[in-house]
Amino acid sequence: MGNKQTIFTAQQLDAYQVSDHVYSILFYRYRDLAPQLVPLDYTNNPDVKLPYELIGSMPELKDNPFRQRIAEVFSEDGEGNMTLNDFLDMFSVLSEMAPRDLKAYYAFKIYDFNNDDFICKSDLEKTLNKLTRNELTEEEVRMVCEKVLDEADLDNDGRLSLDDFQHMILRAPEFLSTFHIRI
Amino acid sequence: MNLVRELVAMSTRDRVRAIQDLPMSFQEKKHIRWVLKHTGNKSPCHCYNLTSFRKCGSNVRSARQTLELWQGTMKEIGGKFGTSVLSYFIFLKWLFMFNVFSFLVNFGFITIPQLVIYITHPFFFKGYFNYTVMYYGSYSNETLIGAMDYKMQLGYFFTIAVYMLLCGIALIFSMANSFRKNYVLADSTSSGAWQLLCSWDFSITNERAVRQRKNNLRIQLKESLSEKAQHEQLTSSEKLKHFGIYLGSWLLSTSLTVGCGASIFFLCQYEIKAETLLVPFVVSLMNMVIPLFYSLFNKFEHYSSQRRQIYALVLRNVLFRMCILGVLCYYWMNVVACWESVVGQALYRLVIVDFIFLMLGSFFGEFLSNVVGTRLLPRLGVPEFDVARNVLEIIYAQTLAWIGIYFSPLLPAIQILKFFILFYIKKVSLMHNCQPPRRTGRAAQMKTIFTALLFFPFFLGALSIVGYTTWSLTPSEHCGPFRGLNSTFSVVEVWIKEVEAIPGSKWVVFIYQKVIRSEIFYFLITIIILIIVYIFWQVSQGRKQLIVLLRRQIVNEGKDKSFLLEKLQNLQKSQELKVRLERSTIPGQGLLRTMLTIGTLQRSRRRTVQPPSIVS
Repeated sequence: MGNKQTIFTAQQLDAYQVSDHVYSILFYRYRDLAPQLVPLDYTNNPDVKLPYELIGSMPELKDNPFRQRIAEVFSEDGEGNMTLNDFLDMFSVLSEMAPRDLKAYYAFKIYDFNNDDFICKSDLEKTLNKLTRNELTEEEVRMVCEKVLDEADLDNDGRLSLDDFQHMILRAPEFLSTFHIRI
Repeated sequence: MNLVRELVAMSTRDRVRAIQDLPMSFQEKKHIRWVLKHTGNKSPCHCYNLTSFRKCGSNVRSARQTLELWQGTMKEIGGKFGTSVLSYFIFLKWLFMFNVFSFLVNFGFITIPQLVIYITHPFFFKGYFNYTVMYYGSYSNETLIGAMDYKMQLGYFFTIAVYMLLCGIALIFSMANSFRKNYVLADSTSSGAWQLLCSWDFSITNERAVRQRKNNLRIQLKESLSEKAQHEQLTSSEKLKHFGIYLGSWLLSTSLTVGCGASIFFLCQYEIKAETLLVPFVVSLMNMVIPLFYSLFNKFEHYSSQRRQIYALVLRNVLFRMCILGVLCYYWMNVVACWESVVGQALYRLVIVDFIFLMLGSFFGEFLSNVVGTRLLPRLGVPEFDVARNVLEIIYAQTLAWIGIYFSPLLPAIQILKFFILFYIKKVSLMHNCQPPRRTGRAAQMKTIFTALLFFPFFLGALSIVGYTTWSLTPSEHCGPFRGLNSTFSVVEVWIKEVEAIPGSKWVVFIYQKVIRSEIFYFLITIIILIIVYIFWQVSQGRKQLIVLLRRQIVNEGKDKSFLLEKLQNLQKSQELKVRLERSTIPGQGLLRTMLTIGTLQRSRRRTVQPPSIVS
């Protein structure tokens, strides 16, 4: 990118386990969101956090119905304000290289709106509303949620645990290719 | 600390993967790596090797990524149309890579030596001016004398053989890989849950596409809710009617296939000199029209699930194309002088005409449907991109290239150009004429099916044609690198005899005679492989039973848990009730009585379950 030079320590690059090429692409995307806030020199690990509004305005995320939950899950403070590390984490989990279990774990956290480590009926209803623009009737929403719980809840406690969710993911091989954002 | 101990015990590659798999934030992972570095008993030298190896690996990966062809276009298509349509383009790119590799290999090992021969022996040039280096006939059976003797015969044979072998291995690995990732045990029951939680395509980035997807999901959910009532039994007369329709449509499609095959055969015999474009024209026309005709059958037949419908359509198409190719190959095997070049020319013409028809097919299939759907018959609506039909078209095109490699070594060059242009045509047609698919397609399973289709009928068919040609048919007398031999394969025999003369190479001759040429060896290998397959099959059956048992166990655990919770609640309720009763009836001795009752209850409950704290 012209005569700008980014400076990372070799250790920082090493520790991230993606290729230098991808790391620098992601860094430039992060910086492009707010060039005045993000310095080029990252050797001193500056404490820079971009607010959720900027993250949510990225073209890859701005039309995604779950963008707020994605930002909340991957941000340190849980509010959607992301540091560079959070940003890199997010795109590495959503890339095609991430293993299925890791993706399932984060997908579970995204769908768990109340952060209680279980997907309960209200979480399902919120997911459904986000996916269908609130156009299903109350009755239909209830029936669909009941159907989901029927099929997926193996230990019959009325809510989905991480194990139930992972079991369901095993039976849906498209998950690896749909839970994927290209950068 | 347990985690660190576990990680230290793993090999470095496993450790790297294990850390990557941990669901922790970057900071925590960094901390773990730092801890490992300082508690491990590796020498600093080892550390350096590890980091340099990783850097090398990551540099290779980054180099590959900068060479990624069409990356931006794929992102755009995936963003607007989703992963199932994108799978067609990814498949096209994969086949494109096969052809690039093939072209480089053929050009390097076959064409360049031939050009060197032409340059050093200019008098050959006049005699074979009819044929360019495109076709088999112009290759000589000379040996290039230089730093190393390069025998054209061996070069030709082994290049083709090794390329086909590598293709086969790549296909097998890809098929096994996708089968392993995408094999689903019992998916018909989880349609509701699946649609809701797993099918949202995160890679869609276009606002209109997102809105459309949401609409489609809503419609699908409504359908699945109403489908609950549709699993009633059909009456026997309706069953008979459906069966009659199936039988009729299969008879019709089979007779169409056989009729087309026969007509192509007679047409080939009528057209004595294969100079005109009549046969390729008719073949490609049939290839375009008949599959569209088969798609019409969908209107009449009612399959129990959409997947069965797609399978039936794909099966019919595959049978049709195999039949046409089979007839053509049978005809070609019985042609006369310098027949390999003739076959090469015929294939070359077929590939070109097929390309023209693919473009026409894009025009008719997508552009005209769009015009018809939007202006003339609005009821039909904007067409969807028919992934199955398009994939079959490119599989057929690739099969032609595979058959043609032996007869025309530079055919991959044409194929490269064809696929390159096709990519852009399809992309433009998709963007302008089609809408995103209404049903969320099963992209991963379709990819497995496409690869399996590519491999089993088409690749193996092409390989068997080439194999039959090299093994059984006599090469023509006056042209090509194998002239004068009984069969192409005898090149290897001749070579082995020469190798015998070289001292110290007894093992090569031994392998050739005892292993490759002996029937007993293949017989034994087959038996051993069958035994191994049988053992693995039994193991997988056992594992399936284990899965059923474990699932039942999970359900039982859940039931146990709810049973115990209920019992606990009942006990707690009865104990509270007793406490209240005691208090209300005997006020004076109430407290003592209460404490005694609580004590007995506690003792009795301790025998069954842990008591919660008693708060009155």
